[in-house]
Amino acid sequence: MISVWKRELQSYFYTPVGYLFMGVFLALSSVMFYLQILAQRSSDLLTFIGQISYLWMLLTPVLTMRLLAEERQKRTDQLLLTSPVSLTGIVLGKYLAAVTVMLITVLLTMVYALIVAIYGQVYPGELLVGMMGFVLQGCAFIALDLFISGCATNPVSAAVMAFGVNFALWILDMVETSVSAGWLSDALNFFSLYARNEPFLMGQLSFASIGFDVSFAAACLVLTIHMLDSRRYRGA
Amino acid sequence: MIELKQVTKRYGATLAVDGLSFRAPEGQIVGLLGQNGAGKTTTLNMLTGYFPPTSGQVLVNGVDMLQDPRTCKRCIGYLPEKPPLYDEMTVAAYLAFVCELKEVERKAIPAHIKEIMATCGLTEVSQRLVGHLSKGYRQRVGVAQALCGNPPVIVLDEPTVGLDPRQVVEIRELMRQLGKDHTVIFSSHLLSEIQQLCQRVIILHKGKLIREADMADLTGGGDTLRLRASIAMKEKQLLPALKGLDCVRRVKVLPTSDVNITEVELECVTGGDRGDPQTQLFRLLCALDAPLRLLVPQRDTLEEVFLRATAEDDA
Repeated sequence: MISVWKRELQSYFYTPVGYLFMGVFLALSSVMFYLQILAQRSSDLLTFIGQISYLWMLLTPVLTMRLLAEERQKRTDQLLLTSPVSLTGIVLGKYLAAVTVMLITVLLTMVYALIVAIYGQVYPGELLVGMMGFVLQGCAFIALDLFISGCATNPVSAAVMAFGVNFALWILDMVETSVSAGWLSDALNFFSLYARNEPFLMGQLSFASIGFDVSFAAACLVLTIHMLDSRRYRGA
Repeated sequence: MIELKQVTKRYGATLAVDGLSFRAPEGQIVGLLGQNGAGKTTTLNMLTGYFPPTSGQVLVNGVDMLQDPRTCKRCIGYLPEKPPLYDEMTVAAYLAFVCELKEVERKAIPAHIKEIMATCGLTEVSQRLVGHLSKGYRQRVGVAQALCGNPPVIVLDEPTVGLDPRQVVEIRELMRQLGKDHTVIFSSHLLSEIQQLCQRVIILHKGKLIREADMADLTGGGDTLRLRASIAMKEKQLLPALKGLDCVRRVKVLPTSDVNITEVELECVTGGDRGDPQTQLFRLLCALDAPLRLLVPQRDTLEEVFLRATAEDDA
């Protein structure tokens, strides 16, 4: 698993993918920081975190598109699947590499908190909880998009499909507020990755939301492993 | 040692490999021969654990691939038809990654890579990106990755396809070197390649094994010896005498321009009580006072064996 993680992490920076993800994320979040914090002379970092959490929907497909789809397209999966590393090790190694790049990027966004701390007031506990929700949401999106990458036959279709699914989740979140049927609204609310992030954005450490995000990511990873294993059995 | 027991593979309704059983003994170069679509690549993919068979068993040193894939996969190095290379890595970094995958001890990796690169002639390109290498070098990197971890069994799927003649010679020489201290299993549809390199041949046709034998037995004909002879005697007098020989199974008359000379191809059985076929024939001709002008033992080419075997199976 560690060897797969290391290779994938290096691969993000051997190719433009890692720089593209970090660059676009930081550029867009800087614009949002200017509009939300600097231009309004505000120190409300939680609202800012809530706004940049929509960037996951746009950018996690960039991180995950190559992970499994390219291995399948270039037949390099033959090396991994005929080596002593287990399928679980391969999937976890790839997932953790994407999560590592995401964490490095999130760490860089701490500069915004530093700027606010110099000129205003930052509440560390509140910030920590907000960032935790933000990272957990990113982890869930990466796991979902990794599953989609495993379904796709090439990186481009993986990215398009992943963006489509992420966008559909966002649309469903908006639908949830407008449907009249209570049970449907409750169901959509329960499964919404955005609604699950709301307690963190209010500074509340919600164990239910932590449990949901972790379970969501774990379920996506288990599905990915089973899907790849089933494809091996079919010899496809 | 690798053993396949009644291995079958289905892709949906298509039967790609049908009840295949064979053994690859230690320290031999074994060739898997077959036309395109005969099931060679599917067989090698099952043998290396890339995917499991629909039914049957793959055993590596007696261990079932499905029961303990990790132990089995440690013993096998595999070069698929398309080498599994990451273009963005340097040759040295790529081989180091494969060594880590194959669980080579971290401290031993640099020396191990150095040795493999020297064996495969890659030392001078060790710091070049894999994506910038020529097809021949890429193939060598593919062979090098199969050697990482020093597995006792090397499996190569059509290793010389698409290479220029010089590269083909180099890869074949490399395989010959590997055969000295590894079991090498490779597939090819090039008969000359199999004939040059292998000690044992397995012929597949439409997913089934149709011949399995040592190369010498296969082309030598086993207990059958074919002799071509040119004898200075008329056909009518000679043929009954030849057919009367114990060892002769079949006589085929070949066309000649001189009616006083008969050219024949004799299919003889070896190992009889009255001595070898050549001696018996010589004694007969002495008795008939028929001068022998030419006597040449005929060996089957692998091409003939292959075509005969596939034609018999089709029939």
